[in-house]
Amino acid sequence: MQTSPTADALRVPIRRPVAALLLLAIGLVTIEVALWWIATRTPSDIVLGLSQKIFYFHVGSAFAMLLGLSAASIMSLVDLLRPDDRADALARSFLEVGVVFSLCLLTSGPLWARKAWGMYWTWEPRLTLSLLVTLLAISVIALRSMSGDSHTGRRVGAAMAVMAAPASYLIHVAVKWWGGNHPQVIQGGGIQSADMRIAFWLAVVGLLTFASVLVVTRYRDIRLQQRAQALRLTLSAHQLRQRRA
Amino acid sequence: MTALRLTWLLLKKDLRIAARSREMLGFTLLFAVLCVLVFAFGFLQEGTAAEGYVPGVLWVTLLFSSSVSLLRLFAAEEEGGTLELVSATSAGTVPLFVSKVLVQLLFTGLVTVVVLPMVLLFFNAELRGIGPIAASLLLGLIGQATVGTLCSALLVHVRLREVLLPLVLYPTVAPLLIGGVKVTALALAGAEGTRDWLTLMLVFDLLFVVASPWLHGRALAR
Repeated sequence: MQTSPTADALRVPIRRPVAALLLLAIGLVTIEVALWWIATRTPSDIVLGLSQKIFYFHVGSAFAMLLGLSAASIMSLVDLLRPDDRADALARSFLEVGVVFSLCLLTSGPLWARKAWGMYWTWEPRLTLSLLVTLLAISVIALRSMSGDSHTGRRVGAAMAVMAAPASYLIHVAVKWWGGNHPQVIQGGGIQSADMRIAFWLAVVGLLTFASVLVVTRYRDIRLQQRAQALRLTLSAHQLRQRRA
Repeated sequence: MTALRLTWLLLKKDLRIAARSREMLGFTLLFAVLCVLVFAFGFLQEGTAAEGYVPGVLWVTLLFSSSVSLLRLFAAEEEGGTLELVSATSAGTVPLFVSKVLVQLLFTGLVTVVVLPMVLLFFNAELRGIGPIAASLLLGLIGQATVGTLCSALLVHVRLREVLLPLVLYPTVAPLLIGGVKVTALALAGAEGTRDWLTLMLVFDLLFVVASPWLHGRALAR
């Protein structure tokens, strides 16, 4: 027999967030080392000078955003196929953290572009894609927060997040044909200097670890909210029974 | 009742409502005309060529006016509880969805018939490359109607849906908008290269024509 969602939510454990704290420690240390490495060991770009160093955290944020938003779509699909509070909580956590990092991306990118391209913004494929996908993700979050705890709101939000995945792919193709001059560091020749490679991977690992701390923390937060909601429901059902008796 | 028959009945009902009240269609058309006028005030200056604005004005007007009719698309169904009723039939929710897409398509099609000549007239452009333009309009309208109907259906019970609909719809249909503008611009200039963009729009349409009814049923069925 399937347990009711309420009974399931009542069993959400209240534990110390050991995993999150551990990840936080690892993430912070890695980010510190990455910053130190970027500041002292990596060479300055001949043309761009210091501003090239934005690259490390910029691409790290891009990875975190990409992973976060894709994971959100996948978890939403899981929740649509087999409704599960945990899938829903994960989908929401991934979505929100994905948006946080896309905002980092959309801030660090223009700062670099001002130096490199001479302007803050161009309607270049990846920029356009990131902006559109961020707007989509923000509207799904807005939708969820506006529909509260309602069952329909949750399923509608999940459907929107699933719809956003193929849409994002087609937006990617469309804006790519539209025009472009974004540096293709990873797909192109790759990073030449060993010091730069190390700095790059330190930044990526640090930011991804930090992103997972945020996801784990938000997930725990939502799960506890679900538990509180289930407790509230059980309590009011109990009171109703007592009043009848 | 078969799915086809249910679709036809629902469509006939909507057409009858539209024919009797004429409000929705009238307002949508009026809005589209106003949209073109506002664009003309915004873009046209004495002594500059107006032709270049035609693709953008045409497609943005179609997108904006489609969201006007989308906002009321499910109003009657929400009041009458149609979704619950069709969920109970063996055909499921697909007929309701398909009938709404067709209604929306009809509305936006009529808007296009009015807006296209108007834009060409106001912006002093000559109609060239009618084939690719017609194809892009057909694909664009089908895609917009499908995704729009999905968004409209999903948002029926959501607070502030009027604000959320464009927020979700516009980024999603961006490929259609970009593709449509490109095809129209190329065709008007008599240039080649419309085929790739039309293929992109076709892929978009195929994907959402298949996925949307499924997502709609999955998210809203009881």
